Amino acid sequence: MTTAADIRDADTVRHWFASAKHDGAPDDYQERILGVLAGFSDLTGKTPDELVAFCFLRKKDTGKRFLSVKRRVQMNEWIDEYVAQEGWQGKDAVVNANVVRGFLIHNGIAIGGQVWRKRPAKDA
Amino acid sequence: MEFKQVIGDRSTIRFFDPDKPVEPEKIQIMLEAANRSSRAVNADFVKAVVVFRDDLDDETWEKLKTPTTTVQLDLAPVSIFWYGDMSFAEGGAARLKELVDLGALPTTHGWSHTYVDEVAFGQVVEPMSKDVMASTWAVSVECGLAINQALLAAVDEGLGVGLHAFESGTAKEALGIPDHWIPMWLMLVGYAAEDRKGGGQRPRRPLEANYYLHKYGQPWQDIPGVQDGLRKSGMLQDPMDPEKRQQEIRELAERFGLPL
Ligand SMILES: Cc1cc2nc3c(=O)[nH]c(=O)nc-3n(C[C@H](O)[C@H](O)[C@H](O)COP(=O)(O)O)c2cc1C
Repeated sequence: MTTAADIRDADTVRHWFASAKHDGAPDDYQERILGVLAGFSDLTGKTPDELVAFCFLRKKDTGKRFLSVKRRVQMNEWIDEYVAQEGWQGKDAVVNANVVRGFLIHNGIAIGGQVWRKRPAKDA
Repeated sequence: MEFKQVIGDRSTIRFFDPDKPVEPEKIQIMLEAANRSSRAVNADFVKAVVVFRDDLDDETWEKLKTPTTTVQLDLAPVSIFWYGDMSFAEGGAARLKELVDLGALPTTHGWSHTYVDEVAFGQVVEPMSKDVMASTWAVSVECGLAINQALLAAVDEGLGVGLHAFESGTAKEALGIPDHWIPMWLMLVGYAAEDRKGGGQRPRRPLEANYYLHKYGQPWQDIPGVQDGLRKSGMLQDPMDPEKRQQEIRELAERFGLPL
């Protein structure tokens, strides 16, 4: 099982913490979000650096990196799977899913965060 | 609200209150404002489809998202999809003649039915309407004019607004858009969950960077006192305070469970 300590020094995790200013957050908060990402890493079988790399492809002709729409969709599907596996409900489900998205966003992957509402849109 | 205050208060709103519905009457006021925009040939270049959040299923909303139009699309109670109509020239000659008869296009300025048929419509508007580049340019300008009036009307009604890209293929199918409409922008509308002014005015370059007197290269010079007057009337306001804004974003992220 991957732990918070295992991933803390990965380039993409350091970048996430610096960019989001999580470095200055309380230790237990840091541990919690690292734990969420570590669990996601386990579910996908990919290290944080591999997760970021997975979202990009390179153009055949120019070699330029671009964000793969399909892979972003795949990422959202894994996030849903992760939430179901952990049994997170309500706001917890959204917040934890968005911890993973926050990690991806700070690494350049514009992946829309889910919104938590007290009343779900359909039941409003 | 005073006109200058409305211009000053408008900023792109990104956090809407999803639970505070927008009165359809206010949407109509926005559409009426768009409908009053200045227009060439008195034509109907501009089309829009208003969609209330629950009119479309979640799957379609998901598909309408682009990388930057995400959270706000989930939060906004109303979406207005703006299009330009490439068939704008149809009926153009008759509309111009109507303006001649009304005196909006006066004889004193050279206007007559014959001029409309032979020159204004026959040699200008109709050939232009067959040129895709020229039509797209004309339609886009017209849409910009109308969309901006709707934006300002919304602010005047106390609403928050913002323009965004959208996935036009999905919208075309979901909204039954005809082939001769070209997609412009998606306007999101709702009551702001953030500061009503989006946290302050966005940075803009001074006039001399973009506006000139007499010829290019001779920048427009500020006339003393004008900016002070505009500050008093609300068109020019305080710039965004990044610290205050970040604090607000943290609070909104907490409220909606968003990534930070
Ligand atoms: C025509 C137009 C299209 C825009 N499209 C997007 C968009 O697709 N996604 C987005 O996040 N913001 C979009 N914006 C908002 C701008 O990126 C930016 O927030 C805005 O220029 C800030 O100025 P304002 O607050 O004075 O409107 C758009 C703005 C305009 C006028």
